[in-house]
Amino acid sequence: MSDLLTPGDQLTEEAGEEQRPARGGLARYLASKLAGALTSLLLVVLLGFFLFRMLPGDPVQTMTAGREVTAEQIAELRERLGLSDPLWRQFLDYLGALLQGDFGDSFRYGRPVGDIILERLGPTILLAGTATVLAILLGLWLGVRSAWRHGSRFDRTATGVALTLWSVPTFWLGLIVLMVFAVGVGPLPGLFPTGGIRSIDPPPGLLPQILDVAHHLVLPCLTMVAVIFAQYQMVMRSSLLEEMGSDYLTTARAKGLREDLVRRRHAVPNALLPSVTLIFLHLGLVVSGAIMVETVFSWPGLGYLMVNALEYPDLPLMQGTFIVLAGTVIVMNVLADVVYRFLDPRVRAA
Amino acid sequence: MTTPTSTRALTWQRRGRALRTGWRSFRAQRGALAGLAVLLTIVALAVLAPVLTDESQLGIINTMSNPALAPPSGEFWLGTDENGRSVLLLTWWGARVSLLVGLAATLLSVFIGTFVGIVSAHFGGWLSAVLLRFTDFFLVLPSLVLAIALSTVLSRGVGTIVLAIGLTAWPTTARLVRAQTLTVQARPYIERSTALGAGHGHLIAKHILPGVLPLVFANTTLAVASAVIAESTLSFLGLGDPTQISWGSMLKFAMDSGAVTNGAWWYLLPPGLGIVCVVLSFTLCGRGLETVLNPRLRGR
Amino acid sequence: MTTREQDGAPSAPRPPLLELRQVTVDYQSRRGSVPAVRGVDLTVDAGQTLGLAGESGCGKSTLAMSVLRLLPRSAQLGGDVLLDGENVRDMSWGRLRAVRWASASVVFQGAMHALNPVRPIGEQIAEPLRLHRSTTPGAVRARVNELLDQVELPVARSTAYPHELSGGQRQRVMIAMALACSPRLIIADEPTTALDVIVQAQILDLLSRLVTERELGLLMISHDLSVLAACCERLAVMYQGRIVEEGPSTDVVRTPTHPHSIALAAAFPTVGDPASRLVTPRDTTPDTPPLLEARGVSVTFPGRGGTTTRAVSDASLTVHPDEIVALVGQSGSGKTTLARTLLGLQQPTAGEVRFEGHRLPRSARALRAYRRQAQLVLQDPTGALNPRHSVYEAVAEGLRIHRIPGDETAAVADALNQAELRPPEEFFTALPHELSGGQRQRVVIAGALALRPRLLIADEPVASLDASVRGEILALLLRLRVDLGLSTLVITHDLGLAWNIADRVIVMYQGRIVEEGTVEQVLLDPRHDYTRTLLAAVPEPLTGRAAATPNTTDPTRQEPTDDPTEVTGV
Repeated sequence: MSDLLTPGDQLTEEAGEEQRPARGGLARYLASKLAGALTSLLLVVLLGFFLFRMLPGDPVQTMTAGREVTAEQIAELRERLGLSDPLWRQFLDYLGALLQGDFGDSFRYGRPVGDIILERLGPTILLAGTATVLAILLGLWLGVRSAWRHGSRFDRTATGVALTLWSVPTFWLGLIVLMVFAVGVGPLPGLFPTGGIRSIDPPPGLLPQILDVAHHLVLPCLTMVAVIFAQYQMVMRSSLLEEMGSDYLTTARAKGLREDLVRRRHAVPNALLPSVTLIFLHLGLVVSGAIMVETVFSWPGLGYLMVNALEYPDLPLMQGTFIVLAGTVIVMNVLADVVYRFLDPRVRAA
Repeated sequence: MTTPTSTRALTWQRRGRALRTGWRSFRAQRGALAGLAVLLTIVALAVLAPVLTDESQLGIINTMSNPALAPPSGEFWLGTDENGRSVLLLTWWGARVSLLVGLAATLLSVFIGTFVGIVSAHFGGWLSAVLLRFTDFFLVLPSLVLAIALSTVLSRGVGTIVLAIGLTAWPTTARLVRAQTLTVQARPYIERSTALGAGHGHLIAKHILPGVLPLVFANTTLAVASAVIAESTLSFLGLGDPTQISWGSMLKFAMDSGAVTNGAWWYLLPPGLGIVCVVLSFTLCGRGLETVLNPRLRGR
Repeated sequence: MTTREQDGAPSAPRPPLLELRQVTVDYQSRRGSVPAVRGVDLTVDAGQTLGLAGESGCGKSTLAMSVLRLLPRSAQLGGDVLLDGENVRDMSWGRLRAVRWASASVVFQGAMHALNPVRPIGEQIAEPLRLHRSTTPGAVRARVNELLDQVELPVARSTAYPHELSGGQRQRVMIAMALACSPRLIIADEPTTALDVIVQAQILDLLSRLVTERELGLLMISHDLSVLAACCERLAVMYQGRIVEEGPSTDVVRTPTHPHSIALAAAFPTVGDPASRLVTPRDTTPDTPPLLEARGVSVTFPGRGGTTTRAVSDASLTVHPDEIVALVGQSGSGKTTLARTLLGLQQPTAGEVRFEGHRLPRSARALRAYRRQAQLVLQDPTGALNPRHSVYEAVAEGLRIHRIPGDETAAVADALNQAELRPPEEFFTALPHELSGGQRQRVVIAGALALRPRLLIADEPVASLDASVRGEILALLLRLRVDLGLSTLVITHDLGLAWNIADRVIVMYQGRIVEEGTVEQVLLDPRHDYTRTLLAAVPEPLTGRAAATPNTTDPTRQEPTDDPTEVTGV
């Protein structure tokens, strides 16, 4: 949050790093980035594995709770789950399986975690993807307008709204939206479904089914956009304000360019670059937002899955979702670095 | 003649003057001033809650006779919860835990962040490289996911929530402090000080820390805001202390008791608005402080 | 448009290219309006060159920006700015946009920032062409190539980005851009500041040649009187928003009348002019054993991909007691690295540094004792002082670090006295921002003197100071030698400074010491080619060499590969 509001300070550091002569070429750069990402992924796996081992209570007892089991059955189950091996052995086994795409079996569902995650990936991508794209478009547009006329009534209103929405907890906004638009308040009837991704009895035909999903998507998506667009707006606004005093804009004006051309051709392309990095840095926020929105709207995605696993508690499922969510953000950040390198000629190899 | 003591006295006078100038610049920003006023009011109310209200009414035993989930009335201005407790009273008391957790978690994360930031920027070499890698790793890790994981494995309680938030929120501070330390270190006065014979201790204590702390202070204010949100989120997910009333846990109970489907807006709105007020106030104050400290931002 | 029609009438005299009548600019701030320009009258005719000189903050850049109404919103323009007889103040936005760059264009200061960092330079040169002349893409490309050719840049560089060019190349791009729409007036705002002497000479040559060839009007702004005098027929000196002196260049430089012009003129001494030599020449180096000695010092920095950059190669020098030595070189010549090595702030990769015959230790603890003997004065006093520390704290810092016993207050007062900040008590509680640039540099010197060192290493001690303060600081350095017997090693790019105060000169080029000797030997009778080139590049205001005889046989026509980070291969 704090670095969202003060991108300038981060930028100074990045600018400093850019000044190093860019040598060594793209392959070298990519290799170092990939190595870094792999280390991070390994750390995530390590963290996920050992953190959840610290859980109080015995997973076997949780699994067998409420059922008649003999001591032999418990011992057998422990053996089957590999829980009687030493911890480092368990980790190596886990890592080995992971490399083959095997996340282990869920305690709760008794099915491979990988399969469950794959099923839930689609809805999350649909929700988070749609919301992120809309939020970026809205945020960047508002940010550019605000910065260009900073101090104006438009800027003050837009910034005020952004700051307020920024201060709203995602889940609470979801609850209010749910109450007003899905349940209905006073004379207002419930306009949208209260949860899920499709109706219990979906209408026949492809188009009606798509419309049904879209109908279900409206509220969670709106909630998410409302919560995350503010960061894009503030990042863009600060970056553009940072550029506004630049000498090259004076040059552009001196050349006789119209103000909107000065903005479109010179200021915005420069301001976009730092924004891109910051946007990707804040991807973790999108993930947090998705978890809470999915929980409130019972959206069958990864976040909801994780919260469900938490309540059970379903150790392999929690580990799996943790690794996938954190891993996604790490991979996206590597992508951002690569994209940035192509966008900014100063970082691109000479 | 001026003696060292009076020189020191004059130095303090100068600091006082600087503080007054800063306050004037802060006061000139309407948003920041409003944020500060709201914040002070909420803090005062939260501190004085035991004096001004009847704590016994928070116990379910004492509220059995009250109507459950009743809309606002003359007796209960903000209605009641599913146990017949006054929502106003709950919200009032909830502020205490929310603020306490927010502040404590922020102190923890700012302390870690400042330490890591300065060390990784000031001392080069492998230590810096490792710390930087470590910071970047935690920076991209979705902090809510990590906080959920942490508060799941540790025993339920206020301390756990503080730890979970504190241990996940520090990387932004560390990045900020690192950047600022690098900026300060590039200043020629560091070179001058080194040429005068200064060691690491002197440089950090006399030049780097004073140059970094104001920014850390502004950052702290902003970090409290996100910590308050994080607390409510974790409590809402049922990871908080079930015996303590916080705004997040109130909303969890509201959701569990069907306040949403019953249209019990009086149960949902007060804790949420409480969070928004506190978070917005801290954010406005933090931005105000940033503007005071960084005149370049003025007018933004 | 009426004035335009008058243009066609044969009877009406052609209005001057640029005429400023009682121009005022006020900046509105919260504390009321602050005047930056207070009633300036100036005229530039076609084919005329006018230099506008002044120190930072005198309003010269503001005045330049007012010509095309490029001032920030908080500025209020008064008086008349007539461009080709048409008042800029009365123009509509549309008319103003049409006039900008087509009638008058600007060569901005600091081309790194004045060029858009994310667009290729060819595109940036083409932009005004597309805007002001509706031509085909092919014609635009041809014109860009032609312009690049005129500023002596390879056409292939048109796809390069600003950061891929050296400082001099970027300035050439700015000039090409300014010429794009064939304007009749060019405003050059500090076009060569931050460039090396040799590159500066090339850019000035280029600019003068193009202006003469095309009969353009040139308004050139600089703090450096010698640069202006080399390029411009007339000079105007600006001080506190007013023109205090105006006349033919030679007159203003040779016989300035206003005290401010006199100070400005003195700040750029002519090498070889005995009047600006402030020390009595010595013929030989003193017989005493050297105070500081470097023997075969090399410093290499590890680069990326296993390559190394050699900043200093096999440099040997001596500084004797009671001697002022100037180490001269361009930026990137390794002179600052050498200075840092002499101070023990940088470890040499080969060779050794000896102080009073003892080899410099490597451990931080042992170096601390050496720090009391040799002290550093940095280029930029504003940066060298912690803005939060009072003068007292800044001067006492060294005493406290070394835990020097005794009366701290008296020691601080003593040091300030020696640095001529009197009475010292009045400066104790002042913060750096309350002092002038010259006073700040005195505080830095006092901070060094408080440790009672034997040697002062001053890195460009006057480069960031205003011209009028320069003389005072140099005089102080000379007096310190007389009063305290302090030896000084002055590191500078400025040959004039060496001529002013040094006993001996050491010339450094690409990390090597190429020439060494007394000031008279080296500066009046240079042996090494590089020293000659350096001397030739110094603008000579009295002859107006650059403007009159564009030196096409200059051996340094090619940009010197001075700075490895700046020059990039194609």
